[in-house]
Amino acid sequence: MALDTKPTGDTPDRWEAQLRKGAVEMAALASLWGGKLYGLEIIRFLESQSSLALAEGTIYPILNRLKAEGLLTSEWVEAEAGHPRKYYSLTPSGSQRLRLMAEAWNNFSRGLDRLLEPVLEKQGILP
Amino acid sequence: MTDEQQVEQYLSSLRAHLGAMPPTEREEILREIQAHIRDSAEEPGSSLAVVLARLGPADELAVEYQDGLLIRQASRSFSPLSLMRATFRIATRGVLGTLAFVCGFLGYLIGFGVVLTAILKPILPERTGLWTNGSAEHLRYLAGTVYPTPQPPMHEILGWRYIPIALTIGALLLVLTTLAIRFFLRISRRERGGPHLSSPRNQQPQTGKATA
Repeated sequence: MALDTKPTGDTPDRWEAQLRKGAVEMAALASLWGGKLYGLEIIRFLESQSSLALAEGTIYPILNRLKAEGLLTSEWVEAEAGHPRKYYSLTPSGSQRLRLMAEAWNNFSRGLDRLLEPVLEKQGILP
Repeated sequence: MTDEQQVEQYLSSLRAHLGAMPPTEREEILREIQAHIRDSAEEPGSSLAVVLARLGPADELAVEYQDGLLIRQASRSFSPLSLMRATFRIATRGVLGTLAFVCGFLGYLIGFGVVLTAILKPILPERTGLWTNGSAEHLRYLAGTVYPTPQPPMHEILGWRYIPIALTIGALLLVLTTLAIRFFLRISRRERGGPHLSSPRNQQPQTGKATA
């Protein structure tokens, strides 16, 4: 690790942004695992469960695309708030895709965790 | 400007930028965004300004919707028009896209041109065909619908067989161009889709089916 240098510029930030963006599709599918939700609920759910705070505008086009790909369905439900809301739920192929994604993600992240363990230990971030 | 006017302005800007989309899909998007604005503005401690800022500018939101739609439709379509439109959208973003656009354009142009000469053969039989001078040293060929009619030693060698041959070659060019563009769009969609990072299995046929 002789070449190890300080993080430079905004690279880690940009990398993190890419990482988040990449995970949003899977996260959106995962938020619907427990049942149907509407857009704002998905956004709030992602914020509370993971640190996936995102520009709210980005989630709607993603939901739209997932629906077009047949992974989600939607229905308008009249709410007591006075206006209908568009609820999304997983289709069978959406559930299947999510299961595969979760499995792959799990393998991937476990591998990386092992790899990163010494790095974090050295900095005293891990106990 | 009142809150209501602000919302109205945001939505009509979004509507305008979503222009190319099928009206039913566009109106559904607008209804959903409108519901989002209402719901999140009613949350405690929220304000309309914050809600709209978090949604991002209407034109950028529209672009995210449209990219998805256009490329999705096109990579399923066989229409040269929609294929070229989607490629053009990508072409504005990079060298590879521009290259694909130019290749697609040329492929269609030449393909259609060759088919056109097959159609012209019955109308201009003397001026449509494949000519050669038959020379051993300076072999020359001339094909298509030409003006003026080539003079000897150039002579036509295909006759009416020109029509099926030109149709086949033209059709082959059009099909190859279409397949190449569709392939390109699929690849670029996969790259732009981002989340494929999460699943190496995406390369398997199973997920291909879901996006096909």
